[in-house]
Amino acid sequence: MKLKIAFSAALWLVLITTAHVWLNVGFKNLGHELRVMLGEEREVLKVGFLPVT
Amino acid sequence: MTEHGEGGSFFRSHKFTDWATVKEALIARSIDAVFILAPMAMQLRADGVPVKVVYLGHRDGTAIIVGTESGIDDFGDLRGKTVAIPSRFANQNILMHRMMKKWGMPPDSIELRELPPPEHPSALRAGGIDGYIVGEPFAAQAEVDGYGRVLYHTKDIWEDFISCVLVVREELIDEDREIVQELVDGIAKSGKWLDQDMDHRMNAAEVAAEHYYLQDPELLKFVLSKPVDRVKYTNLGPLKDDFDEIMELAHEIGVLSRRVGFEEYVDDSFVRPLEEIDWDMERLPEERPGGAR
Repeated sequence: MKLKIAFSAALWLVLITTAHVWLNVGFKNLGHELRVMLGEEREVLKVGFLPVT
Repeated sequence: MTEHGEGGSFFRSHKFTDWATVKEALIARSIDAVFILAPMAMQLRADGVPVKVVYLGHRDGTAIIVGTESGIDDFGDLRGKTVAIPSRFANQNILMHRMMKKWGMPPDSIELRELPPPEHPSALRAGGIDGYIVGEPFAAQAEVDGYGRVLYHTKDIWEDFISCVLVVREELIDEDREIVQELVDGIAKSGKWLDQDMDHRMNAAEVAAEHYYLQDPELLKFVLSKPVDRVKYTNLGPLKDDFDEIMELAHEIGVLSRRVGFEEYVDDSFVRPLEEIDWDMERLPEERPGGAR
């Protein structure tokens, strides 16, 4: 029974994390953030502008 | 605008077409930094949005344009006329009220109509307005196309005029000061390089026209050279006296809902003397994120 609860909790954690990354973060962004943390890629900052001077 | 810092970070520019969307993107944090109208930055702060002005985009670079055959020869001739402004939150709006005050004209003596900057030249050409005040290159557009002329460059009526300022979210300053410093240094270096040599300005016009503004390079070359001080890219540190004047005028005409203290919305700790920074073209990285060139 305990094993079943632990397995269900782990499965729920995986599913909810996947859903969060999919819906809110984006797999591409997560991959980029991880590569920045590992020093494999450079940080990107989005800077907005209007085409006026 | 630089696309990369010598510290190694990338700055990806995101083009907007209207101020309202810029404001929403900043609030939603889909962007962390933006060039925004100075009074709008003040009002964002007054509204509780955690942003700080860290640098200016440029100085001057705005003109009041009237029709070539309009017979309007000085500011007094604009009495009873309709003049387009980019936004009520634009410093161009503040300038119009400042001028009306100086000329002893009541604030309603000129009809100020909000229009998106790209629509200013066509509205003048169609006769929908008598003049407009806007940042370049839309001021020069009517001049180059022959149906408009400059009544005043801002450099002649409000020295070192401020239009756009660089605003960043406070969280970014708290979490990553280095990247903000890199961004400010990059803009400072680019400005220094632009103001050093006319060839640099012409090169920049070509690149900006093709990759960022998507406009006629000849128009941008005109803006950056006729006259050369039409728009300036040095002396871009935010100064208290400049901002206090804008803030007081903006509050006086009802653009700002309350007075905002300079320290409340400005963080000038990223400004370094230009002598300390050099532009080394050899250090530009080849690669760009996502394979972009």
